[in-house]
Amino acid sequence: MSIEVKSLIKIYDDRKVIDNVSFKVNDGETLAIVGFSGSGKSTILKLICGLTPRDGGEIITGDGDIAMVFQYSALFDSLNVADNITFALQERRELRKKYTQKDLAQIVTQKLELVGLQGIENKFPSELSGGMQKRVSFARAIVTEPNTILYDEPTAGLDPISSTLIEDYIVRLKEETNAASIVVTHQMSTIKRTADRVIMLYDGKIVYEGTPDDMLKMNTEYTKQFVTASLDGPMKMIA
Amino acid sequence: MITLQKYYRQSATYRIFKGILEEFTVFLETLGQITEKLGLTAKFILKGEIEKKELIEQCNRFGISSLPITLSITAMTSIIIASQVAAEMVKQGGSNFVGLLLTILFVREAGAVMSAFAIISMIGSSMASEIATMRVTEQIDAIQVLKVHPVRYLFVPRVLAGIIMMPFIVILASVIGVIAGAVTSDLSAGLSYRAYFDSAWLGVYIKDLFVSLFKAACFGGTIALISCTCGYHASGGAKGVGLATTKAVVWSFVAIVIIDMIFAIAFFY
Repeated sequence: MSIEVKSLIKIYDDRKVIDNVSFKVNDGETLAIVGFSGSGKSTILKLICGLTPRDGGEIITGDGDIAMVFQYSALFDSLNVADNITFALQERRELRKKYTQKDLAQIVTQKLELVGLQGIENKFPSELSGGMQKRVSFARAIVTEPNTILYDEPTAGLDPISSTLIEDYIVRLKEETNAASIVVTHQMSTIKRTADRVIMLYDGKIVYEGTPDDMLKMNTEYTKQFVTASLDGPMKMIA
Repeated sequence: MITLQKYYRQSATYRIFKGILEEFTVFLETLGQITEKLGLTAKFILKGEIEKKELIEQCNRFGISSLPITLSITAMTSIIIASQVAAEMVKQGGSNFVGLLLTILFVREAGAVMSAFAIISMIGSSMASEIATMRVTEQIDAIQVLKVHPVRYLFVPRVLAGIIMMPFIVILASVIGVIAGAVTSDLSAGLSYRAYFDSAWLGVYIKDLFVSLFKAACFGGTIALISCTCGYHASGGAKGVGLATTKAVVWSFVAIVIIDMIFAIAFFY
């Protein structure tokens, strides 16, 4: 059920954007991946869920699904909330025969309740706020009961209160599903509130691995620079 | 000191050839993408993996919503041609051939081609921009993560809708074209409807109708396939959506002309 990444490599234009990255996330555990923009955080998620082919290494997952919550929700704007949530159940041939329309309606209600939304089944994504879209995308992600959930900057572009709400749902979904979770984020609050462990990437390599509390102690030059948001330090903006 | 290599790279000849090579590479890349998607779409269709609900929606979009513009364009084309040709032919003693000429023109060529051009402008461009927007907003990534094949979900219903609906559009367009020709010939050259329709069917054979319908189905499938492929491979935000839409329109126009030429040579040469 857990997910393990071994010596992962990704090369773009002759440059290693992911360079020999290894880590493991156990069931019911949340790993935060932090680092500068362009350090390869989102690329790791795309490699794990197979959106981008890898150039080396190994990704070991269980039999279940891998779900992903996208940075800007990526809800299907031509479908209403109910159809967005049950998209996989309606379109995957091995799943569609298992569910009647009544089952699907029940699943929608149940998943929406889980993310604190009710009565929006027939609304379209354009009628929802950014925070609500994000929560609907959470509901869509967990509909196939995945064993791994990937979050790509889940609080990006949200106000602090909505961010707190989203962070609460990340914790809640982990407890409800016991899935291995990986959260890519820049936000210190998201790291503190959701993560059990943190890895920091710089130039495609892991430069720090530890707990959020240890990270906040700023025992290394990398964590010190990241936590204090300083321009001085070993990490330089990558052109 | 400037090296010979640097000097060569700055030369106009080098830059022109480099530009041509880059364009040729893009051309081959696009051709490869279209071929790959054609193969995948055909595979899903042959396996019967067709989303009926989505297919009906796309048929409605392809056929019904485009009909007013398509028929208007065909009718106006017929009026333009008939108003210039009918009077002159009547004057030259060729009144018996006006109906024949316009019927052959619309059944064999203009009905299908004018419909295809209208469909490219209306439906092809909207398909390309819709799918390109889905690409740049990660909706296609979401489809893949949810383990649904994007070609099955996006391409199959659209391409099938094109193949199914285009012959119906062409039948209607051809009929409208022939009727508009009759009305225009009557008004501009005083050619009676009887004289027009008596000659109209003389040069049209069953083969012409079948070839026209087969060609229409090819046009419909091609427009949908190219539009979906260009949208699918879009990148880079709003600019990428615009470029994908333009590329879809240009490629579709060129493809239609090439297919039309192949049909003309194969069946009427």
